Amino acid sequence: MTVRRSGTEGRNGLRLCLWCVLAVAVEVALFSSYRGHDAKFHWFTHFFVGASMALLAMAGVALRTRRPVPVPLVWPLAGHLFAMLPDVLFNVGIAHQRWMDLFLGHISSHFVPGRNLTWYVVFLACLAAYLAAVFHVGERQDRSTGAPER
Amino acid sequence: MSPVVRPAPFLRRRRALVAVWLVVAVTTGVLLALSRVTTGPLDDPDPARQRPGYLDDGPLPVPAPQVTEDIPAPGRRAVIFFVRPSELEPLCEALPGFDPGQEVDVAVVLVGEGGRCPEPIPVVADADGELAARYGLPAPRDGGPPVGYAVVDGAGDIRYRTLDPEVASLLGEVSTILRAVS
Repeated sequence: MTVRRSGTEGRNGLRLCLWCVLAVAVEVALFSSYRGHDAKFHWFTHFFVGASMALLAMAGVALRTRRPVPVPLVWPLAGHLFAMLPDVLFNVGIAHQRWMDLFLGHISSHFVPGRNLTWYVVFLACLAAYLAAVFHVGERQDRSTGAPER
Repeated sequence: MSPVVRPAPFLRRRRALVAVWLVVAVTTGVLLALSRVTTGPLDDPDPARQRPGYLDDGPLPVPAPQVTEDIPAPGRRAVIFFVRPSELEPLCEALPGFDPGQEVDVAVVLVGEGGRCPEPIPVVADADGELAARYGLPAPRDGGPPVGYAVVDGAGDIRYRTLDPEVASLLGEVSTILRAVS
């Protein structure tokens, strides 16, 4: 079997890769911004919580619009940035306060039983939900356009 | 020659999509496992309790025991550092550059004896760890004396306490907590 890629597909793939590289680079920078080796614990909590919420939102948008969301890796990054915003404020001299739980449970999310392991499992579950939603709408889209399946 | 059969547009991307997310899931899982392995002996057994960044966690505020005759003093905030002998020198070297603002007293509690810091910072010996226990600092993972600090407000109450084995290089964080304390 021979499958040829069109120029448009190649450009789309390159664009997707650029977004991937950007998202990964920003996450690496955020990881490095947590001073003190123990602070990495906080990066993981806010990443898993923010990314999980983003994945659920992505699944919802995909099901509603019946097409996969654009630049998918950027959504978890945005969720992470929202969840960790109080840490940015801390770095400029503003201590945490209870109301900062508005940022996806910034304070209380650290104290769930199982700690970050629990949030990792939640993240995997949300990722599975997102992929299921995308496969669902993608296959429907292919069927409606009459494209052959393999 | 076999016929060219192109899979449907979405299905063509499915493998790439799964591969990208699989890499994300596996990478974060491996990093999480590594972060648990690299926890230090002076860290809190519960990482969520270390450097939480907010006041009045758990039973706080509670009255602060006296460290010296005049620390803590009414109407003045105080930060009390708790160190082992091996951590005293880096802390004492860093403290002259520590600017906690006005009306803040600083004291160092040393588990052991014989240490000194530059004047006017008093170093109080706490050989049996009783003072650290009265301040409610938890035992670190190695079960030894705690390395960290407590912040006391002007009313003489402990508002913040945490283990922090790297406190000598994170004094800016202590300033942030002090600013939040009246």
